Amino acid sequence: MTDVRSSRSTSAPQQETADGTGEATGPFGPNEMDVTESGGGGTSVPPDTSAGWLRWGWRQLTSMRTALILLFLLALGAIPGSILPQQGTDPASVQQYYASHPSLAPWLNRLGLFNVFATPWFAAIYLLLFASLIGCVVPRTFRLVGAARTPPPRAPRNLKRLPHSTTYDSALPPAAAAESAAALLGAHRFRLRRPAADDSGHWVSAEKGYVREVGNLLFHLSLVGILISIALGGLFGYKADKLLVQGTSFGDTVSALDEFHPGRLATASDLAPFRMTLDNFSASYVTSGQNEGEPSSFKASVTYSDTPGGPARQGVIEVNHPLSVDSVKVYLIGHGYAPVFKVTGPGGKVAYEQATPFIPASTGTLLSDGVVKAPNANLGFMGVFVPTAIDNGGTLESIFPAADNPVVSLDAYSGNLGMNSGVSQSVYQLDSTGMTKIGGSPHVMLPGQTWTLPGGKGSITFVGVQQWVSLAITYDPGQVPALVCGILALCGLLLSFFVRRRRVFVRAVPAASGAGSVVTIGGLTRTDASGGFEEEFAELAFEIASAGTSVTASPGDAAPGAASPGAAETAAVAAGDDKPEPNNQSETGA
Amino acid sequence: MFKAKRRTVAVVAAVAVVLLAGALAVTLTTGSGAQAGVSYLNGNPAQRVYAAGDRPVAPDFTGTSLTGAPIKLASYQGKIVVLNFWGSWCPPCRAEAPTLAVLSEQYAAKGVDFIGDDVADTSASALAFTRSVGISYPSVNDPGYLIVQDFSQVVPVNDTPTTIVIDRTGHIAGMVLGTVSYATMVTLLKDAAVTQ
Repeated sequence: MTDVRSSRSTSAPQQETADGTGEATGPFGPNEMDVTESGGGGTSVPPDTSAGWLRWGWRQLTSMRTALILLFLLALGAIPGSILPQQGTDPASVQQYYASHPSLAPWLNRLGLFNVFATPWFAAIYLLLFASLIGCVVPRTFRLVGAARTPPPRAPRNLKRLPHSTTYDSALPPAAAAESAAALLGAHRFRLRRPAADDSGHWVSAEKGYVREVGNLLFHLSLVGILISIALGGLFGYKADKLLVQGTSFGDTVSALDEFHPGRLATASDLAPFRMTLDNFSASYVTSGQNEGEPSSFKASVTYSDTPGGPARQGVIEVNHPLSVDSVKVYLIGHGYAPVFKVTGPGGKVAYEQATPFIPASTGTLLSDGVVKAPNANLGFMGVFVPTAIDNGGTLESIFPAADNPVVSLDAYSGNLGMNSGVSQSVYQLDSTGMTKIGGSPHVMLPGQTWTLPGGKGSITFVGVQQWVSLAITYDPGQVPALVCGILALCGLLLSFFVRRRRVFVRAVPAASGAGSVVTIGGLTRTDASGGFEEEFAELAFEIASAGTSVTASPGDAAPGAASPGAAETAAVAAGDDKPEPNNQSETGA
Repeated sequence: MFKAKRRTVAVVAAVAVVLLAGALAVTLTTGSGAQAGVSYLNGNPAQRVYAAGDRPVAPDFTGTSLTGAPIKLASYQGKIVVLNFWGSWCPPCRAEAPTLAVLSEQYAAKGVDFIGDDVADTSASALAFTRSVGISYPSVNDPGYLIVQDFSQVVPVNDTPTTIVIDRTGHIAGMVLGTVSYATMVTLLKDAAVTQ
């Protein structure tokens, strides 16, 4: 069995072995990878053949440096997605941006900056990053498996050159001294390597700490697992938003949702067909002290069924406490007020009567904006809802987010709302072009009050106030696997940080006096960041010496005086005709 | 100088790889699949015709009309039914309503009944509209999209308005996603009359 070592292992002095095969045993080879090491990324010059080009390109792509650059680009590319309004989540704001930046907006649009996460260039970055990570992690996984299975190297010839070494004189002959050391190291769960049948030396190679490789492997496999989980979520998951007024219900279907963002391979038919009714929503706020007006709790009580016609269940959704329905999670992400209005037309006929969600303009006081569109009365209203109103010198102000003194202030418009033209419009905006403002300055109303519009145009009644909640419905099949993989990756990382590979070599040669032997013990560890190998080595050496014979150990690294470095070598050559070991090679798992 | 050239080549290669990945991304983002037994009218995927024999069963529903009367789909068995999902808040629905009003009168004698399904709405707002356009057929009050949800399990009802044509045996013969046109409805109704 020959250990193949690449020329990259240059971190420790090369040593000749007794049989002169030139086996490098001193350093740990390239198999012992650090998790932070680059994945085969070379800084090599591009080659000339096309195959060489491909190989070079692949090596560049899968290098850690490229992965980091791509990760940085991904973060950079996501910035416009968070500072510019996005078509997918907020089309109305995109329209506003167009209106306020007429010359800049088309250019931004050409670069896809209003839909960053769907642009080809953004997809290119994450696909490349994915390829880079997979290309880095998969080959490394194979190398790590190899590293975990490699037996320890042969014992170096001169153990005194190792960082830790000690020598003792044994009364036992060399073969027996080596045998006793092997038995002791085996009992300490070291993986052993003994001389081959044709090897005349008496030595033991022992290695421990393979768990480090297992940890390393676990980390890398978990990393791939995390990527696959994220891909699963991105491909098959979806995210949707729904605004639901107290007392109403909805069926989870695309047309009922306000927003629906399916993954690449998810479609409308993948929606979990649950039904949900918002029975009650309660928000409580801090009523005194420094944090007055800040929310203390939000609680949405719902009745739901997993499938149409399924059994009805009760549930509570709170902030950060989503409700699991079927395979999806329903989060409470917002709330607001929906004043109920009743609008009559010129003939006194009811043209509109419903709770109308207003959107909070101020999160602190829940002062909200909204519109009422009654196309059948040719009336439109723009309004402000004030939950707890005070009159501050003629202007209305909200001093508290709870609806303690609800007031609406309305501007009325008469004319064609353009809703029969077929062109879609936002239910939260009123396009008053082509309409006439009637009734003068904003009209302030309390619940129950009716405002009769001038000129017999009709009337509007502020019937009362309802609350609404905004729900986020998310399905992410990769969430649990990603969490499990993340925990496993952390465990692997910790194992590879805190466990170190360490090697102990024992070599016994006949004593110069003719009776007994001189036993040299050498120790080596790759990184000893957490410390402790020196003590472990000293203890092992003491145990080996105690087991071997009466101890006269000379501790210390290549301690002067004990034996000259050349002595052991000479002795090894002299002991060439010693009889072979009965079991010359044994291995125990570590 | 030689090195500089290499660098240029490397940059060009990198750009090429990015473009290739981009192209791959584009092909991944755009994809369409055709379904057995479904054909598109005028090549428009929003106008779907289901071949006789491949027609999905229309889920039965019971509801209350805007005026409080009970409505049950199963009781329309033996007639062709046009089911229109709409809301008085929805401009495209308001735009197509006159067409549906005319069709419902023209086809009343030919064994075709019209039913509306009024979503995310209140009876008061909805009735104000139906009266103004002269729609005489009933609409189910369905503020929570529950009937839409039932239908979306068998056909892609993904937006409002959507109009579904149900044949005499209670199977879905065709549908229009979005605003209907008179001509499209005539074709779909003719097609629905053929049942095998």
